[in-house]
Amino acid sequence: MRPFLYSRATSLEQAMSEAAQSHAAIMAGGTTLVDLMRGDLTGAEHVIDIGHLPGLAKVELDGPVLRFGALARMADVAELPFLKQNYPALVESLQLAASQQIRNAATLGGNLLQRTRCVYFRDGVSDCNKRVPGSGCTALDGEDREMALFGASDRCVATYPGDWGTALAAFDTSIEISSAAGTKTVKFADFHVAYGDDPARESILQPGEIVTAILVQATPAGRHSTYVKVRDRQSYAYAVTSAAVALELDGDRVTAARVSLGGVASKPWRAPAAEAALVGQVLNQAVALEAGRAAFADAKALRHNGFKIDLGARTVARAAMVAKGKH
Amino acid sequence: MDINMGNGGIGVPVVRRDAMAKVLGVAQYAADFPHENTAYAALTLSKVARGRISRLDTAAAEAVAGVRMVLTHRSLNESLGDETFVMKGGHMQSSFLPLTSDEIHYAGQIVSLTIADTLEAAEEAARLVAIDYAREAASASMDDAGLTEEPADSGIDVGDAEAAFAAAEVKVDATYVTPAQHHNPIELYAASAAWQDGKLLINLPSQWVMGTRAGLAKVFGIPIEDVHVESPYVGGAFGAKASILPHVVLVAMAARRLGRPVKLVVPREAGFTVGSFRPAARSRVRLAATRQGKLTAVMHDEVGQSAVIDHVAFAGMEATSKMYASPNIRMRAATVATDVNSPGFMRAPAEAPSFFGFESAMDELAVALGIDPVELRIMNEPARDPVSGLPWSSRLLVECYRRGAALFGWSDRNPKPGSMVAADGTLIGYGCATATYPSAMAPSSARVRLSADGSCVVYCAAHDVGTGAYTVLGQVAADVLGVPDELVTVEMGHSRHPSGPVSGGSITTGSAGSAVHMAARAVRERLFATVAAGQDRSKMTLADRHVVLPDGSRRAISDIIGGLPGGVIEEHADWKPTDMDDKTMQQGLAGGMAFAGPVGGTHVSFSFGAQFAEVRIDPLLRTIRVARMVGVFACGRIINPRTARSNLMGGMIWGASSALLEESQIDRARGRFANTDLASYHFAANADVGEVVVEMLDEHDSVVNAIGTKAVGEVGIVGMPAAIANAVYHATGVRVRKTPILMEDLL
Repeated sequence: MRPFLYSRATSLEQAMSEAAQSHAAIMAGGTTLVDLMRGDLTGAEHVIDIGHLPGLAKVELDGPVLRFGALARMADVAELPFLKQNYPALVESLQLAASQQIRNAATLGGNLLQRTRCVYFRDGVSDCNKRVPGSGCTALDGEDREMALFGASDRCVATYPGDWGTALAAFDTSIEISSAAGTKTVKFADFHVAYGDDPARESILQPGEIVTAILVQATPAGRHSTYVKVRDRQSYAYAVTSAAVALELDGDRVTAARVSLGGVASKPWRAPAAEAALVGQVLNQAVALEAGRAAFADAKALRHNGFKIDLGARTVARAAMVAKGKH
Repeated sequence: MDINMGNGGIGVPVVRRDAMAKVLGVAQYAADFPHENTAYAALTLSKVARGRISRLDTAAAEAVAGVRMVLTHRSLNESLGDETFVMKGGHMQSSFLPLTSDEIHYAGQIVSLTIADTLEAAEEAARLVAIDYAREAASASMDDAGLTEEPADSGIDVGDAEAAFAAAEVKVDATYVTPAQHHNPIELYAASAAWQDGKLLINLPSQWVMGTRAGLAKVFGIPIEDVHVESPYVGGAFGAKASILPHVVLVAMAARRLGRPVKLVVPREAGFTVGSFRPAARSRVRLAATRQGKLTAVMHDEVGQSAVIDHVAFAGMEATSKMYASPNIRMRAATVATDVNSPGFMRAPAEAPSFFGFESAMDELAVALGIDPVELRIMNEPARDPVSGLPWSSRLLVECYRRGAALFGWSDRNPKPGSMVAADGTLIGYGCATATYPSAMAPSSARVRLSADGSCVVYCAAHDVGTGAYTVLGQVAADVLGVPDELVTVEMGHSRHPSGPVSGGSITTGSAGSAVHMAARAVRERLFATVAAGQDRSKMTLADRHVVLPDGSRRAISDIIGGLPGGVIEEHADWKPTDMDDKTMQQGLAGGMAFAGPVGGTHVSFSFGAQFAEVRIDPLLRTIRVARMVGVFACGRIINPRTARSNLMGGMIWGASSALLEESQIDRARGRFANTDLASYHFAANADVGEVVVEMLDEHDSVVNAIGTKAVGEVGIVGMPAAIANAVYHATGVRVRKTPILMEDLL
């Protein structure tokens, strides 16, 4: 493999300074970066390990904003009783991801930045605009069952693979980003970038910037929330389709709704049309399915992934009904 | 039958002798053997599926610090012995050896081997080998336009099936498709080669150390005795490690040229094309029956994916033609050559794909007739092999069905599709299918040594590929010699041992076990002759480390053997199947492929099983889960119920995995396998496997071999995909005639 320099950061400041150099990569849990480096997919020449830095794994849940330190481990967060009770969608999205061993090591911040599982990106051989800009997109006439229905372009049709990110999109979430210039927060919806003209660019993160926290606005909708993941294999598989739904209810009537989609888009994908279809309605199976169909009204299918329009709608419907049934 | 059941050696669920070593991580696999001063190798693979190398530049690769050699078609430049493809009587995984020309025959073909002082340097150099290709159009899928079917052999004909089918009252005519699949053993392909004084020592995971030795001797033009192959532990093989993979030759070649040991572990993605795979297949099945359910015609047309570089045909007709009584049978097989690496053996190579179609069609016939699928199979049970007319060595398929139906609760099944629904709306389906696998055997040698302290060592160049053979062969010796199982040591997986057969075709227990039995009996005979010359040996027995004389008196083994020169009794045996001639036997013992059966001179020998599945399908999302599987098998005598059960259970789980998950997707535009990692090539996780019930019937087969065992290793997978597809139909009314069956097939 490519020779690279490895250093353990002694402070966040040092890490931010080193990360500002070209071909630097930040490593937290290492579960995804090492894979990418083995596949020669990063071009990283300097790996800056921040996994052990103190203070960045703290989770604070008692204020008006839930604050998740970027280095908190997926497995640890998935076990927090308060979160299980009040934000089941977030917990479920963590529990249904990867394997227990990976969740033990992987961090919440790193999870957001995992890269697509598109086989043509990963194989290191096929033309791929994400890996070699300008080389083309093999998936356009290749195996496209896993590819995106939303946020794709004729340059890239890969999907964002994460579960946690999809669940976060169903809440009022922000990302705290730190750099030598200071700390800023950006809306989660603006953090990832749909694969349009520049598929190699997947988030707004710039060299020298490090995700330090994930901030979720506290909401009563958390209690009536769920994350439904549909996959070929029962465990340890990426979503074919997934949906997170969070509801505020007055009896059986929906007063507020957030719906997001996974496995079908180039970034965590919010579905406002589905939300609109739910709000004001007495929620039943027919209404839920109608909302699911609304979520996929603008979907653009390729040759072999058209079934995800139907399956995705059903996934939203299931999630809506499960969310309603919580507590 | 000469089985001493009194000692508890045979039929006892002895725990695997290698279990602790594996659990503790002390069992050494091929890549764990450290040769001193080893250099490390890495592969570069072809990016195109067909064409020629038009430019090759290794300068950058050679400039990497620590690189010792870049082996390409230009630098190999040496003729190797003309060893051939394993299915043409040789030992190679493919007729084509990479680096012997500039031609590209398939995507992922090895185009260079870089060797360096460290693995990292070798990998970096492999990345820097610069190659341009003159690319030609390729077809990696048998469904591509313009490909033609070639008949694979003459087929099987009994009666006039076409006429009977045309005239039949009830019939089924359907085509079923199975995809390419890859073995993906958890232990990656590997080789570690060292030369000393012109002799080659090679560590690799192998199902055939004797064949590998013979093949490498031929490739390198050295005496067979100068090749030593070591493979004491194998971390999954499934047919993939039965022949010499191309990297093995290249690693040995590099080690010879460098004068230094070389080791290569083939990365997961490279394993998809460095090794072999299960080719895609298509089965057209036509069944005809009377309204009462008696079969009148059975027809099976199989088309299998083959390779341009090697003709490979895995038709299951030998088995499907024997399943049911029918006066008219017609079987045909054909292949379609594609631009892929040579397909090869993979768990029930012929049976697994062909039984998916054949047993799905039986279910469709049962539906068409309105007859219970279990009863339909029972009412068409053949008394003799319907093709040869020979009797079975044993066949308890009906008993398997009766017992399996009881265990499963088949009588609870409402035959109407979609009629069984759980309280939460989950659709429930029950399905069944037949499994079978031929009981073939190969010649084998073995040596057994009994020492004065009662300890016993068994030597045989067979293999434990995770199946429990170490334990099972030890039990055979313990049983004959009347010594406790824990005093027996089994040495296998090394070519210096007495010749053992390939661990393929589910033959190890019947073949190597028979040889061990023969050698152990020879030891016992010498023991008896030593202790009491002139007495009636047929009335002597061995128990608890004592010889029991006809008068009931006992003589300790320690006393008898202690007095002998050397203090041991050691005997060698060369065993062959009854129907095999001596010449074939000698070929087999010398490392050639020499099988006898399943159709012998007087009998036909197969293992049988009845398999049942319960699927649960989400009514909205249409995801399919296998809640329960039941398999009841008749495989002759079971030496070790624990390891046999584990084999059968593993096969059933693989069958479920095959039914619902496993497919090597072929990117047709580029002619290559697309999902070459374990994130995208799915096989079952623990969570996918519900309850698995395995039972083995107490079957006595006095014909098949001296120890009465039939094939266990592969039969477990055979019926499971069809049983699950049939259950999916029962749950939903949707007949899916391809695997894997995915949620979108049911939307």
